[in-house]
Amino acid sequence: MSIKKLNLLLLSILLLLIIACDSKQSPPNNRIVIGMSADVQSFNSLFAFSYEESTIADLLYPGLLDFKWNEEKGELDPYPMIAKSWQWAEDSSFIKFTLMDDILWSDGKKLTASDIVFSYDVFSDPDVQSRLYGIFNQLFTESDGHVNIEKTFNIISPYEFEMYFPENSIPDLVKIIVPVIPEHVFKNVSRDQLANHESNFNPVSSGAFKLKKWERNQSIILEADSSSFLFKQGQVSEMIFKIVPDYTSRMLQVKKGEIDLVELVKVEDVLELKKEEHLVVFPLFGREYDYIGWNNIDPESISGGQVKQNKFFGSINVRKALSFAINKKEILEEYLQGLGELAASSVSPIFISSYNNEVKPYEYNPDEAKRLLALEGWKDEDRNGILEKGKEEFKFKMYYPVGNPLREYAAIVVKNNLKSVGIEVTTEKMELGTFIDNLYERKLNSWMAGWGIPIPLDLKPYWYSDQNVAVLNFQSYNNSEVDKILDRLEDKLSNEKKYELIKEFQKIIHQDEPVTFLYWTPNIIVYNTKIKNLKITPYGVLVHCWEWTLN
Amino acid sequence: MKSEIIKTLFIRFLSSVLTLFLLVSFLFIIIRLSPGDPTDKYISAKLGSELSERIAEKFSLNQPVTNQFFSFVANVFSGDMGVSYNYRLPVFEVIWEYFSFTLVFASISFVFQMSLSIWLALWVIKKRKKWLNKFVTDSSLFIYSIPAFVLGVALIYIFSVSLNLFPISGLKSLDYDKLSFFSQLLDKLHHLVLPLITLTAAGVAMFYKYIKESMDEVLQQTFVTNLRASGVDENIILLKHVIPNALRPLISVAGVELGILLGGTLITEVIFSLPGMGRLTVDSIFSRDYPLVIGCVFTAGAVMILANFLADIIKLKIDKRLIKGILN
Repeated sequence: MSIKKLNLLLLSILLLLIIACDSKQSPPNNRIVIGMSADVQSFNSLFAFSYEESTIADLLYPGLLDFKWNEEKGELDPYPMIAKSWQWAEDSSFIKFTLMDDILWSDGKKLTASDIVFSYDVFSDPDVQSRLYGIFNQLFTESDGHVNIEKTFNIISPYEFEMYFPENSIPDLVKIIVPVIPEHVFKNVSRDQLANHESNFNPVSSGAFKLKKWERNQSIILEADSSSFLFKQGQVSEMIFKIVPDYTSRMLQVKKGEIDLVELVKVEDVLELKKEEHLVVFPLFGREYDYIGWNNIDPESISGGQVKQNKFFGSINVRKALSFAINKKEILEEYLQGLGELAASSVSPIFISSYNNEVKPYEYNPDEAKRLLALEGWKDEDRNGILEKGKEEFKFKMYYPVGNPLREYAAIVVKNNLKSVGIEVTTEKMELGTFIDNLYERKLNSWMAGWGIPIPLDLKPYWYSDQNVAVLNFQSYNNSEVDKILDRLEDKLSNEKKYELIKEFQKIIHQDEPVTFLYWTPNIIVYNTKIKNLKITPYGVLVHCWEWTLN
Repeated sequence: MKSEIIKTLFIRFLSSVLTLFLLVSFLFIIIRLSPGDPTDKYISAKLGSELSERIAEKFSLNQPVTNQFFSFVANVFSGDMGVSYNYRLPVFEVIWEYFSFTLVFASISFVFQMSLSIWLALWVIKKRKKWLNKFVTDSSLFIYSIPAFVLGVALIYIFSVSLNLFPISGLKSLDYDKLSFFSQLLDKLHHLVLPLITLTAAGVAMFYKYIKESMDEVLQQTFVTNLRASGVDENIILLKHVIPNALRPLISVAGVELGILLGGTLITEVIFSLPGMGRLTVDSIFSRDYPLVIGCVFTAGAVMILANFLADIIKLKIDKRLIKGILN
């Protein structure tokens, strides 16, 4: 090829590019594009393990009932969905559900009571290994957790059935309602093969939206299903989930108007985004908090069988001293720009009825910290700036997972704060998978992490003494009073009594300070002003998105 | 001679298979010894570790590592790399979906890297201007030293955000299906311009330096002076005599570069949200999807071996005297 021909080729490529640039089309204006960082692996609600998967699966497969966030009480209220009404038996031994009789699956088949029963059967089947496996202990179950269909359900007609509960069980509607999946699609599929079934990628759904197209790692397009019982004239015609793994690209697309809604925006971008007239910045509080974990027992003693108190963090006074020594407010104001709230316990202020206003976070008070440490025998006798008790110096390593700038900033503040009271901390980042593994194995002495708060409130897995029950009690906290409260919360009690017990729980946790509660971190949501009827509550951002409209 | 070629080719094939086998075996042991557990994400507050244990059982993760290794070896020899824990699909089915994009994307970038660098070197040589030579050499060094994540973001900011000429990310428009065939082609091209520039720029700069130096060396040789003295046209000297001689040392480097590109172009894929092997590999590592990690590394290893073999064949095409050295 001569040089002239090569030049010509390059010129034609350039020309083609100019044509391509000119071929941009303006998008239809009845769609909402939501930015996501990761793709889904399945649309089947059974296997929706990730946040992204459950968000989309919940739109495709509504449950028997719907729930709405009660702002006044700070709890969920049940609303009709597939069931238009439900009636408790006088002795609470069963509920009679009456279904809507005009609900169609996206393939045109009718949704009936047998789909509901089938859903409970499959979700609880140990061979399926669904995301809800094991939560059905308030129903009649076999020893392997599988719901006993015969004992639990009585189908009266295609649109009426009764759900029975064992004696002494305290069923909570929020905990027992599952998404409904189509029996006619899955009934002939071997249970252990359900995870690989083709329908997981081409779902037959009953929600307000159905899957139109899925381009792996690019986009998921849901279109309004006009045959759905949730369909309303004027609703958004397409919900598009655009997968953009790079945070910077996601933010640029939000600013440019290519993405209409995005979650988990970083605090450092808030000021800039607020300047954009077409965007609304909405910080949602109360679903996540950061804390510093202090292992209450000696991690090395676990393998030996004889569990010993942690030489540093086994004492309540030392843990309180650490909380007094850390200037949480500084982190909140400097890094989080006030977009957060100091945490006093693991009970979120969003649970208005259960929240104990009298429990206040430990305020920054290095003198009080020093006093408490001295009380426990930690004194700087050799004047080297580090406290010691006998021959033991107060030195430890604090781990935190990589990739969280807030925690990186907080780690520096914590290190400096503790240094000023005579404690030497070495901070070390750890890859997330390794970090989680170390937590499950209770190998860490001290760490900084965060918890997402489940709705409804669930405290036992985090604070109960028995580690087999409380798999997430990484700090190995042990208090029989707390255990009693957590056990009692599972009894048949009035709501008022439950609120009282949870308030008492917060008081004890505050006294024991098993970890240092830092702050409630915001989930910052940014959305385009063209979206109307959007109601963001702690229950979720996209719930009821079929009610959204566009300007 | 022919039977000798077949024999040595067969030996090279066997040694490649052995290399790949050792690679995946080594990886199998390393990832199982490293911290982290693929079933951690199935531990739930309510259920504890029950579901995670069931899943570990399903994927034989509760077996001793030696048992897992022997069953892995048996599966590898039957062509089965296992099922991805996350995708719940056979590993090669998942990989093919991502590799097909990487194959096209990396190949286009590679062709651009080679052709642009040769064109640039020829242009600079033909102009015979000292300042131009210095300018292009310094610029290529500058471009080569810009990390892909900086170049990618800068290109997005200039061409997508400020000038609104190209899309920020993705492979095609959301309304791609509604477009005509020609518009679909243009749409894809439109989306791939910035990623291709990001991926290609450093390659062009690197190859330019190799080619330019190599061409300068060839131009100093006596046969070029003889050709010029004989009155042969300068274009013919460059295209028919200088380039083939100058390209020879470049081909081995090009083989390695092609292998690297086909193994995945992580940074470009992440910045521009492209579904390629780089993202798949890294995601599988972070989620501890062991079979998929092994499958990705196997694929990267296989394409590296193939790309090098291809480079050797091209070298052979240029100079048949190299046959023995290449086959061995």
